[in-house]
This record gives sequence, C-alpha cells and structure tokens, in this order.
Amino acid sequence: MDITEQTPPTPKYWMSLEQWRQDPDFKKFAESEFRTSPMQEGDSEDGWARREFLKLMGASLALTSFGCVRRPAQKIIPYAKQPAHLVHGIADHYASSYVDGLEGFGVLITTRDGRPIKVEGNPDHPGHEGGMSARAHAHILRLYDPDRNTSAKRNLQNDKRTNRETIGIAWEKLDEEVSAQLKKGKVAVLTNTLMSPSTRKLVNEFTTGFSAKHYVYDDIGFESIIEGQQRAYGQASLPRLRVDRARYILSVNCDFLGTWLTPTTFQRQFAKGRKASAEMNKLVVVEPLMTLTGSNADERHRIRPSQTLDVLMALLHELLVVKKHSSYASNSGVLQAIAPFSKSKTDLAIPVAEIAQSLWNNRGQSLVLAGGLSAGTENSAAIQMALNLLNSVLENEGKTIEAGGAAVLGSAQAGAAGFNELLNALNKKEVTTLIIHGCNPMYSAPRTAKFVEALGNLEVIIYTGDRNDETGRLADYVATDHHSMENWGDLEAFGGVLSIQQPTIRPLHDTRAFQDGLLNWLRAAEKGSARVKNSATWYDYLRSNWQEEFYPANRGGKSFEEFWTDLLQKGVVQVSRSGGASRSLATASLSGVKSSARNSGFELALYSTVGLGDGQLANVSWLQEFPDPVSKICWDNYASFSLKDAKQLNLKEGQFVKLMVGESSLEVPAHIQPGQADGVIGLAVGYGREGAGEIAKGVGVNAFALSQWKGGERITAGLETKVTVLARNNTFACTQDHHSMEGRQIVVEETLKDHLKNPGGQVHRHKMTTMWAEHKYTGNKWGMVIDLNTCNGCGACVIACQSENNIPAVGKKYVISGREMHWIRVDRYYTGDPENPGVVNQPLPCMHCDNAPCETVCPVAATVHSDEGTNDMIYNRCVGTRYCANNCPYKVRRFNWFNYTQLKAPLNLALNPEVTQRFRGVMEKCTFCIHRIRDKKSNAKLLDQALKDGDVKTACQQSCPTQAITFGDVNNANSAVAKAYQQPQSYILLEELNTKPAVRYQVKVRNTAELKGGSPHHGDSHQKEGQHV
Amino acid sequence: MGKKIFGAVVLLGLLGLSVFVWALVNNKVVIGYNKGYMPDQPIPFSHEQHAGQYQMDCRYCHTGVDKSRHASVPSLNICMNCHIVVKTDSPYIQKLAEAYNTGKSVAWEKVHLLPDHVKFNHAAHVKAGKECTTCHGPVQEMPKVLQHSSMSMGWCVNCHRLPENNAPINCSTCHY
Repeated sequence: MDITEQTPPTPKYWMSLEQWRQDPDFKKFAESEFRTSPMQEGDSEDGWARREFLKLMGASLALTSFGCVRRPAQKIIPYAKQPAHLVHGIADHYASSYVDGLEGFGVLITTRDGRPIKVEGNPDHPGHEGGMSARAHAHILRLYDPDRNTSAKRNLQNDKRTNRETIGIAWEKLDEEVSAQLKKGKVAVLTNTLMSPSTRKLVNEFTTGFSAKHYVYDDIGFESIIEGQQRAYGQASLPRLRVDRARYILSVNCDFLGTWLTPTTFQRQFAKGRKASAEMNKLVVVEPLMTLTGSNADERHRIRPSQTLDVLMALLHELLVVKKHSSYASNSGVLQAIAPFSKSKTDLAIPVAEIAQSLWNNRGQSLVLAGGLSAGTENSAAIQMALNLLNSVLENEGKTIEAGGAAVLGSAQAGAAGFNELLNALNKKEVTTLIIHGCNPMYSAPRTAKFVEALGNLEVIIYTGDRNDETGRLADYVATDHHSMENWGDLEAFGGVLSIQQPTIRPLHDTRAFQDGLLNWLRAAEKGSARVKNSATWYDYLRSNWQEEFYPANRGGKSFEEFWTDLLQKGVVQVSRSGGASRSLATASLSGVKSSARNSGFELALYSTVGLGDGQLANVSWLQEFPDPVSKICWDNYASFSLKDAKQLNLKEGQFVKLMVGESSLEVPAHIQPGQADGVIGLAVGYGREGAGEIAKGVGVNAFALSQWKGGERITAGLETKVTVLARNNTFACTQDHHSMEGRQIVVEETLKDHLKNPGGQVHRHKMTTMWAEHKYTGNKWGMVIDLNTCNGCGACVIACQSENNIPAVGKKYVISGREMHWIRVDRYYTGDPENPGVVNQPLPCMHCDNAPCETVCPVAATVHSDEGTNDMIYNRCVGTRYCANNCPYKVRRFNWFNYTQLKAPLNLALNPEVTQRFRGVMEKCTFCIHRIRDKKSNAKLLDQALKDGDVKTACQQSCPTQAITFGDVNNANSAVAKAYQQPQSYILLEELNTKPAVRYQVKVRNTAELKGGSPHHGDSHQKEGQHV
Repeated sequence: MGKKIFGAVVLLGLLGLSVFVWALVNNKVVIGYNKGYMPDQPIPFSHEQHAGQYQMDCRYCHTGVDKSRHASVPSLNICMNCHIVVKTDSPYIQKLAEAYNTGKSVAWEKVHLLPDHVKFNHAAHVKAGKECTTCHGPVQEMPKVLQHSSMSMGWCVNCHRLPENNAPINCSTCHY
C-alpha cells in the first residue's frame, strides 16, 4: 500500500502509520491484545517448545508429588553483631550521587538489610529537584550485573593486541607491575569529564607526580560547546541554562528535554514554565529527527542537520541586518560574518522572520539552544559561536544563560587536553603507558581516527572499566572499578552545587576504586602531596579534601564532624564559588564561518536515545526493553527515514538498508518515522556493544562506526550517506501497536487561548447514570491525576515502576508478541499531517476503576475492589484465565506467560521484598504502589498520627521530573489530588464506559494559534462509536 | 510423536502418583498447616526458661516486633548481653560465643512460615494491643518452640472479622 496515500476517514489521533492508513491488518490486530498462543510459531524449530514442555511437565510432576509439603525447611540466620540502627524489615535511605555523562543526580538509595534495591531522586538537589531519568533508575542493575568482572584481570596481548587470554590477577601483583611500568615515565591518563572535584584533585596530583598528561574524552562529547564558550567568552566551560526563566524557547537541533547535557534538570525547569497561564512558555523546535523535545514542541519545523548553522545565522541576519536590533547591528565584524548567510532565510522552509520577531519580543526571557550529536556537523563549533552571539543579541546572557557555575568544571580541569592531542601524542610515541577511566573510546571513537592503530605504540594500557568490553579487551590490565554504589565520591553537578556519593553496599566482588589505584601507585613511587601519604584509602583522601577545600568557607559554625554528618544525611550542599560575573562576548570568533548546508542526497544524523544514552548501561535489560519515547521500539536501533524518502526508496518498515559513509558501512533495519526531515537518516548510538554482557550482546549495531574524524574533531551529523536497500527484513519489538484506543477521546488538547478562556472546554463530557449502588469509601479513597500538559513522555516512570515492583523484562521475542510487562506505559499519539505531526503522550497505569470491568469477569475473584478505591490483584488466587485482560478497556493488565521469578544471581538482590514476585500463569498490573500505602498507613498508626497528604507517593510520581503525577486521598478535600479532581481541565479517560476510574487526566495545552490535529473533540465520530461500547 | 509424549505423560504421572501415595502413607508428607511443628534447634534455647522462669519481656530479644513487620530473631549480640557472663561453662553457650566471635551466626530452624504472597505486620498487631500469645500460644511454657496456631488464611480472617477488632478485610491488607 502506498505509504503517504490516505484513505478517508482518518482518525484524528493515530498511533502508527498502519492505523493512519486504516490498514485492515491493523484493524484486525488492534482488536486482539494477545496475538499468539503461548507456544510461539517457530518455537518447535529452535527446540524451545519441547524444552518448555518438559519444564512444565517437570513442574507439575513436582506439584503432584510434593504439593502438600508446606514446609521447605528454612533457616533464620540473624546477624552476629547487628548494626545499631538497623531494624529488620525497615528500609534505610542513603543520600548519594550518580553521574550519567555530564548529568549529575543527587539520589536517595533505598537499602534493605544492606543491599540497595531502589534509586530515588534527592528532592533537595537544586538541579533536578528529585526528578529522575530512566537511566538513573536503571543503573542499580549494573551493580548486580552478572557479567561484571569479579576481580582485576590481566589480558595477555600479542603484538597486535588481538590474540589474548584473560587471566585473573591479584591486586598486589597488579600494583607491583603497574608501579614498575609507571617508573619508566611517558604516562598519560584518559578520563571522561570528571564531575567529582576530589577525583579531579587526585588525578591532578597523579599527573603532576608522574609528569603525566591528562586527556579528557566523553563517549558523547560536548567539546563543541566548550570550544564555543572558550572562543566566545574565554572560558572553557559549560554554561548553566535556566530554561525555567525563559518564556520563548527555540531549540535548533537540540534535544534538551531528552538527551542533551542535563535533560532531567531541563525537564524540571521546562515544566515550571509550562503551567497553563498567560505566562506559559512557548517551545519552538527546529530539528531533523523527531526527538522527545520535538514531540513536546508548540511549533515544530524540519531541517537537515547540515542546516543547523544556517538557521542560527539566518536568525542573526534577520535580527541584525534586516531589523537592525541591538548594538551588535553596528558591529562590522559581526555583520561581515553574517553577510554570507543573507539568503539562508529563503533557502530554509521555516518562518525565520516570525521566529526572530518572537525572540526579539521576548528578549531577556528567551533562550536559544543548539547542539548535541545530531548537530555534530563539521561546523559544530561555529554553531555554538553563532548561538552565543544570538543569545547575547537577545539579551539572554546572564538571565536565561548563566556563566559562573559551570566554569568550575572547566577551570578545575585546566591543563587537560582533548582526544585529538592524545592521538597526536600516541602517534608521536610520546606515551608508553595509558590509563583509561570512565570512557569507552574503542566503542565510541570514529574508526577513521585510527585510535586502535595508535594504541599499538603503547607498552601498557590500564583500563578501569568493570568488564572486558571494547576498550577492556585491548587493555593489558583491567583494574576493575567499583560500581558507584560501592564507592565513595563527590559530585559537582553545577557550579557550587555539591553532593556526596556514599557507598550503600560493601563491594560485591574483588574490585577496587579507581582512586585507590591512583593513591597506591602514587605512594609506591613516593609521590604526591602530604594528603596522599596520610590517606590510607580513597575515603580518607576525599574526607580530607572536603575538610580543607569546602569546609572552611561553608562551616556555618559547625565542627567538621557535624558538617560531614550533615552532608552525609542531606547529600547535597551549596558552596560559594567564585565566578558568576558577567562575561563579554568576543565577536571576532565568528569571522570566516561558512555554511555547509546540503540540499540533496542523504545525510546521516547520529543521536542518543533516552533509554541507552552512550551505551554504558547497555547490559541492563530494563533499558533495552524501554520503549523509545518517540518510536516505541525497544531491543533495536534502526535507521529512521522520513515518509517521503521511504516511499522514494520503496522501503518497508523493518527492511534492512546498507548505509555507507566514506569507507565505513553498516547494515541496519529501517524505521519510517513521522516528522522526520526529508533527506535525513537518523541512527541511534549506544547499541551494538561488544563484550558488554549477555543482554547487550547482538542488540543493534554500533552507530559510532559511521562517525568520522576530520580535522581533529568527531563528526556525527551531516555526513553524506549512500543508502542501499537490502532484501532482508527485521521485525521490530514495538510496543506502539499493542494499545490502540480506536479513535476515541483519549488525549484532549487545547490551545492556550481557548484554555484561558474556558479550561477543559474541549473535553466532551458524559452524564452517566447507573442502576447499581455505588461503592462506599468511608476511609481513604486513593486517586491520581496526571497532568498531560507537563508530562513530556520521557518514560522515567516506566523504569521507576519496574524497579519498585519487581517487573521482569521479557526479551525482544515476547515484546513482539505483546507480552511486555510494564505496569505503566506511555502511549504516544500523533496528530495531524504525518510529514510533520504533532505528538501527545499519555502515561497509562491501571485506572483503578470504581466500576471495574475486570472485577466482574474474574471467575475466582482474584481481582477485587477494596474499600479504599483500589482495584486489588490477588496473585495467589489467580488461575490465569485472562478474562480480566480481555475485559479491561485500558489494556493495562499483564500476564506472566513464563516463570520470570528465577533471576540469575546476583540480580535477585535488586528485588524489592515489599512486592510479591509473580509466578507463571498469574495476572498482574499496577497496584497504586499499595505496599507504600500500607507502609505509610501502618507507620502513621504506630506513631498515632493521621496520614498527611503527600505522605504516600507512588514510584512513578516520585520519579517524575515534571511532577505531572499527583496522588493522594480523594476523600480528603484539602489534598492536592482532590483539588486537581475538581479542576475544569480534568477529564476521565473513556468516561462514556462509566468505569469511573480513580485516575484522571488534565488536558494538554499548546501555546499555538491552532492545533495540528484540529479540534480533538470527538463529537463527530461519537455516534459511530456507540457500537463499540 | 504426540502419542509418545502422551505415553510419557501418563507414565510419569503414574510414577508421581505412586510416589505421592507412598509418601502420604509413610508420613513423609503431612497435609495441613503444620500446626504443632516443632523442629530441633541448633542450640536448644528454652523460651520456658527465659520468658517463663526469668519473666523476660518478649521485646527484649524480638526487638522489631513493635517497629517493623518482622519481630526478628535476635542477633547474637543480644544473647551475649547476658551470656558474656551467664552460664559460660555450658557447651551451648560456648557454641553461641564462638558464633558471635567468629561472625558465623547460628542458623535457626524457622518455625512459623508464611508464603511470600502474604504480608504480615507484627508492629500493627502489637499496636492494636494483641498479645504475642494470642497467635504464638503460651511460649513461656515451651522449652522448645512449636507452631501454636494453624496460621491459615481462615484463621487470620476469623479474627479480622470480629467487630471489636475493627480490622481491615481487604484482600490487599495482606496480599500485594
């Protein structure tokens, strides 16, 4: 069928291209939730069915013979010496930190009996304010990863560093051999951007002690931003952005809400300005790929990645040359630099003049953002310089963009050089020993940088990763580092915002902190400061650094002991930092900037996903099974094409294509992505890991292989690409088509104007009557309100829920069969023109209906209504008829097709003991975190206190970076949720079914003149829908 | 193929059934709720002596009982509070002291066992004024602890349903 040809009538909200085309296959498919029998087609071929059959038989045999043995004799082994504070069965929370790329989180780690089971955000952290990302939740599984190294390793390499054998090595022996090697000199240290001030200090001591050079490399780098800042302001630093202060935000090829820099913080800030009022911010996105940011845009335009610079320059041209705004309009140097872009405005299919005018109207309250992997073109530094100028012209500098803070990062790494310098040093044989920490250059560096070849000049490579991955297998020594939850540390997320990282578990394996390695080697060579000599461990060094560095100026009348205890309890502290002074822009940096815009042929744009990011956590099953917020595909990366290009190439969804960039090529399945710019191919990094472990093995391809190394820079976008369509096909594990809502009123959108006039006016309301007596809720009545206006679809709630509720990952094969187990999902609907659609997201937990359709059909009363309004799922009663799933209009019920309770050790340690593990044949679904309700209620009772509003927080609510979820007792008229219930913008999903859900939604407000899908009012199709009901 | 599997199933089923019948007849399996279960413990700790004779408060050892879901079996440092001086000549106390000193704790046999899908909260029941003996029986008279009540769901619910107890009877009170 023709892809772009449309057969009327089209539903206004559509979930996939198949639905938009009214594909008969889709219709058939949408009617059934579970498509297949438990025995998969093709199961018999791989022998699986037979194996499973025998297993099933074995189990039932065991049941018949021993079913009545109620007592597997169990032991109780108490502590010999119980820690004083510990009470069995009560969780402890430790304030700590986590770093993901350049995003720092203050976290609270929940531990039970000495093992961490959950990571929450620290609400006191001034950046993300308690919000979390999917990865920040999921990094706990890396701690319990069975594929981690359990000790230090020695790789026996041949000359070419290929033929090798891995043997274990004792730490003493490793220290001895490394110390001997370090004595020879010519040492270099390659690390990621170190966010820990104490680690930075120690690395500085190390490099000074051994006259070594410190090089910095990040898998997903932000070099261009730093270079742009350096050239514009003379500060090699990252700026601190204040999205919350901006009323007009223009993102030019920058996925700041999804993957760029510190997305969780940006999401929090963005949501603050997103409250529906006359002051509500407006987001305009100009981008090549459909990103999370683009899906939240009020106005979205498409460009090629190579046009990123042209957009910024066209805006500058409009503002400075055409409108002659600001003092820069008389700066001849600037005008000269802009001059070549006088025609960009007409070449670009975006309303440059309008955007420029809006920006100028909001000057001082606007913010322009650009950058990221998909903007990593040949002139990525020029993009940053143009951006700096644009923000200065718009008087945003010092208002929505701050300097000071982030300068700390740069200045403290002063003296550090980049990857290019390392390559040069390696090629000149200036280095013989290289220590690699915190990055995986063998995975992420462009092949054309010839890094492997350059490594051939080295005598010894020491890698501190936790496994023999791409870089590990080339190293001679893998000095296996602790997981961050096993190690001490500190973090400076923004200038002056410091948090402590404290271990929450004794190291599971025979691993050692990277910092302890440096200390040992320094001491063996009798080098370093007095602090190195006096510190027996890294902890001592860290503490002493805090005592001397941060304590004196921030003591606040406390002794250091008190200060330190306070820090450990609160986790985060704001210290005074010099800087923050206004900076002046050096406009000369812009001269000679040339356009590299291309108007024909395909160009590649690499990007990172919300789930996997730089791929460090690729062996975490939760993240592999995390549906991409936009495409809803998991367990794969793919080359995304626009509708038009797919038609032209005669591409089908899932068909393999061969992408060729220069000499490098990759074969990867294609995905047709609504909203993608024509002539652009998107490909996600983070996949195709080697040696990362059993879960990451064979998932996707390494997109970094197509990145290029030109002029000492990594090029990740705007790469000219040849496409060959192959005959092979791939089936994507896509959760998108599993949950169709058949064109009913699902997500309601309003324009800001309409909303201010009449909030909720677009909601089609139904007056329902009932013949039955209603349930009575005399005590608590739990309810939830989800604000679709602030929800951006990031999906952190999905992973938070998975972590909290022991939800298994099922693997690609069974996601294809629609058997994913997520208790909360985020539905994504497209509206309007598929070439550039609008996007709405809707998180969907169990609705906990008062008139629950699932309850009435259960033959064994395994799902019942409680007098607190929750719809309880009683696992031990469930016999697995799945009638309830059939009868649930919201499709939120999940069935255990297999026994997922047996986890490979030590993954079982991540389980939450508060939540029952569900066995094969049992239905499950969102419980409203009933265990948290029980816990708080029982606590309140023990303390003779009443339960306060906000005491009980569900896992999804706690995690949400935009605080879109409100939960509480509806019977308490003063609770936030009861108030939200009454707001006119609240509505009930599928109200006409009279299910009376306890979950309500609030309309999405768009700051536009009109909505992309037209009015979402479902009145016209309403009559026809009667037949479905 | 199908016949073979069917045959195998029947054969295995018969085999299983005969093993089961044999086990039942020979008291290898006991049907019921293990009321009266009284396993031997690695150290013959006597509740009769401690709780009965010496009138020690249950909470002195079972420290979690009014704070947490678990009453908790005491850690060895609690035993050693007294036994560092009391009856140190007994071989059992020496065994205890050794376990305490080496950090290799004592593996007690679990007497009361609820399935994983049942969440029982000791603290809530203590708070509601229930005596330990209501469920655990006259522990102060037991030289060796046994399971006093059936601890079946019916047994739980019988009590929860009494109006004077004002206890919740939602399924999710215990099952979640």
